[in-house]
Parts: sequence; C-alpha cells; structure tokens
Amino acid sequence: MVAPHTILDALDASTRTLASLGSVIAAAIAVAAIAVVVTALGVRRPRPLKMAIGALVVSLALGEVLLVWFHLRLWQLAEVIDPLTGASAGTFAVPLWIESEKLYVWALILAVIALVARRKGDELRPLLGTAAAALAIGALVWGRPFADPLPDFLGGYRAYLAAWTSGDTGMAMGLAQGLAASRQYYYNTWYMWAHPPLLFLSYGAFVASFFGSILMLFHRRSSYEQVAYRWARLGYLPLTLGMVVGIPWAIIAWQGESWWWSGKVNMSIMMWLLYTAYLHARLYLRRPGMWRVVAALAVLSFVALVLTYVTTYVIPGAHSVV
Amino acid sequence: MERSAQSNGARTSWDFALIAITVALMGALGVQSLVGTLYTWWAYANVTGWERSGQPQFIATMNAVAAPLVVALVVVMGLCVPKRLLSRRTLVVVSAGMVAAGGLAALIARSVTAGLTVYLCAAAAIQVVVVALTLAGTAGLRYLSENRIAKAGSGLLHLGFIVAALVIVALQRSAAMLPVSLLAAALLTIGSGLAFYARSSSRAAIDEETAS
Repeated sequence: MVAPHTILDALDASTRTLASLGSVIAAAIAVAAIAVVVTALGVRRPRPLKMAIGALVVSLALGEVLLVWFHLRLWQLAEVIDPLTGASAGTFAVPLWIESEKLYVWALILAVIALVARRKGDELRPLLGTAAAALAIGALVWGRPFADPLPDFLGGYRAYLAAWTSGDTGMAMGLAQGLAASRQYYYNTWYMWAHPPLLFLSYGAFVASFFGSILMLFHRRSSYEQVAYRWARLGYLPLTLGMVVGIPWAIIAWQGESWWWSGKVNMSIMMWLLYTAYLHARLYLRRPGMWRVVAALAVLSFVALVLTYVTTYVIPGAHSVV
Repeated sequence: MERSAQSNGARTSWDFALIAITVALMGALGVQSLVGTLYTWWAYANVTGWERSGQPQFIATMNAVAAPLVVALVVVMGLCVPKRLLSRRTLVVVSAGMVAAGGLAALIARSVTAGLTVYLCAAAAIQVVVVALTLAGTAGLRYLSENRIAKAGSGLLHLGFIVAALVIVALQRSAAMLPVSLLAAALLTIGSGLAFYARSSSRAAIDEETAS
C-alpha cells in the first residue's frame, strides 16, 4: 500500500514546479496583456494589436499546457485509498475549468476569439483584446492558477492525507468517503468535461456579440448587427447544448436536493431565456424600430451572462464556490 | 394575388403574435429567476439557517409561481409546433384538443405531471410528423424561411425542446433519462446548427432609418 506521506511529498514537488514555471509564464501573460491594452487604447493600429493579442494567446496557451501537465500529475498521484483495507477508489481526473482555472480558460477562449475574429475584426479587436487582457490579469490576480492551484480540491485531499498520516483512521475514513463520492459524482464525470467548457465557449462568443451590439448602437449600421447576431448564434449552440447536458448531471448528482431554484441555475435560466428571446425577436428585424428591441435584448442578455458568472462567487448553493 | 398577400400578412401577424407571447413568457420567467436569485442572496445573508428553515418554502413558492408560466409556455409551444401543418382554425381545435387531453389525464391520474406528459407526448408526435413531412419536401408547411434545410433545422430544434421538457417533467427517475437527455441535446444541436446556418440572416432597417 502507498504511504500517504509519499503521495504528499510528490504532490508538493509538483505544486512547487507548477508555481516556479508558472511564475515565468504569469509574467509573460501580464506583459502581453499590458501590450494588448496599450496597443488597443494608445497605438490604435491593427497590426501591432494583432501581434500583441497573438503574444497573449501564446503565453496563455503555454500556461494551459503547464496546467494540463499538473492535472496529469494529479491523475497519477491523487489516489483515494481506504486507510484500513488499502482498497483504492481510483485517482482524480480533475477538469481543467474549475476553481482557480475558470477565469483563465475564459481569458484563453476570448483571446483566441479576439485573434481570429474576421468580420469587422479591426473594429472588434480592440474591444475583444482589452476584455481578454482584463480577464487574463483577473485570472492571475484572483484565480492564481499557478501560485495557488485548485485550493478546494487540494485542501480537501491534503486534509485526508494529513488525517491518514496522523493515524486518525476514523477521520481519514470519513474524508476518504467524501472524496470518493466527489470523485464519482463531480471530478471524474464525463459531464464535467462537456458542460463547463461548452458554457465557456458560449461566454466567449457572447462577449463578441455584445461588442457587436454596442458598435451597432453607436454607429447604427446593420453590418454591426450582423456581426452581433453571427457571434450570438455561435454562442447559443454550445450554451443550449451545455445546459441540456447539465440536466442529467444535476438529476444524477443532486438527486433529491433542491438544486432547481439555486441562484446559479436561476440566473442561467434567465440568461438562456433572454438569448432565446433575442434570437426570436431578431426574426422580425425588418419591422420598423425592431432593431432597438433586438439591441436592448442583446445588451440585457449579456448583463445576465455577467451576473450569472458572478453568482457562482456571491450566492451560496449548488454550483457555488463561496 | 391580393388575397394571397392578405393571407401572408395574417400569417405573419399570427406568427409574430405567437413569438411575442413566447418572448413575454420567457421574460416573465426571467424576471422570476432574477427575483428568486436576489431573494436567495438576501436570505443567505440575513436569515440564520435559511437553507433548512426557509428554503423548502421558497422552492414551493417558486414552483407555484413558475407553474402557470411554464404551462402557458408549453401550450404556446404546442401552438407553434402544428402551426406549420394546420390552418389557424384547425390549429386552435387541435391545440384545444391537446390541452383537453392533458387536462383529462391530469384529472384521471390526479397529477399535473401526468397531464403535462400527455400534452408533451402529443406535441412531440405532431412535431415528428412535421419534421418527416419537411424532410420529404411536402408542400404546404408554413415556415418563416423558404430554405428546406433551415425548415428541417427549425423542426428538429422545436422537437429537441419538447423532448428536453419531457425529461424534466416525466423522466427524472426513469432509466431512460440519460439517453433521452442526450437525444434532446443532439436534436437541439443539429436543429440549431441547421436553422442558424442554412438561412441567410435578416438585415435590420437601421441604415434606412439613420439615412432618413
């Protein structure tokens, strides 16, 4: 049977490697993010801005590769073992978009969108690039995926190893059971590898749609509205799929629990309803003055998206990380 | 020609009215969701042990408020589904028949769930026929788009919503829950993809308004 201190030592070594390599990558991300903001707001020339966004994408992608390595190490190391019998419940396939890594993934997706946006790309890119840079800085400051990775997961797992090491078998058994359940119903479920990334993909597309709507409201040109719609329909697909895929997950994982009217679910429903209403209203865009209703719905939908994201951190309940 | 234009105008108004009602009902549910979220936020912060003492009552109230809105939404969707197939008069008769069948099932089984299940199954059956006829290229089906692929997408999309609603209403404790959920996800994705990408998107009358 593997000794708990052996796992703990290997885990600490991997965490240190992540922190030390991550500090270099974090510095590169910060420099690239500042370059994006300066070129978007100061220089205002398309080519340097695109290069700065490219540098941001590369540095964020390098960070993501490092995080993948760290998660693979967790897959190898973080095993749930019964302290009495030595029976193993298996290791953790911790998804790449939870806890400290949420904002980071969203920043990466948005930076890629900022780089590849073609239709009205030169007008959208300063806004998208600045938003991606702000998210990247936010991810480094609040998420701290390299310096303080997965605080809830590692905190819980380290507590289990500590109880096992100290010889408190009763506590270690209790913590092991809790970890095995969270492994089965949360970390290692296929839903976790489909539901969150689909939603983050949609969030990225909706940011582009929001900026398209803002440009449309300022310039009053239907070409901007077309851009907003194109990004919205691209976002609506993964949003709907992600939410529908989340339903069986919620039914299985939270059976009997009152998840249906939790803050996050409430807000997600509102956001989806608003985007559905936007796409429905848009069918009648040719009616006089309808573009104002459509633009208002687009902006309102995006406000709902931001509130939905913030709800995770503000309101307790299912989905919460309060 | 004039009659056809009038008929088209009436049809557009009818479609527009259904979409306006759908948007209004969704808006009402959205407002309820927002109010529920704000209340949850307030309750967690100000009522000690609210999760145990107040949450069950909160959920019951939310369910009670949402129920008529959801039923109305399902009924409107039920009207939207066969509208492609039937004339308005037949549509109203068929829809009333579906509501009556659902109501009867609810009374017999003494369960709103049973009533909604019957209603949704009827809507799903009609929608399957609509999709089949659309794919076969049958004339006479009324859609906002003339593009056949977009029509099929719209049909599959609505079928996906009905199947997803069936999962929530009737299949939560069934072994079929997961495969039927995945079927709904597939229908919604394929339907959305076809509906969004096959038809050319409308252009707003903004430029003209700005120019004038």
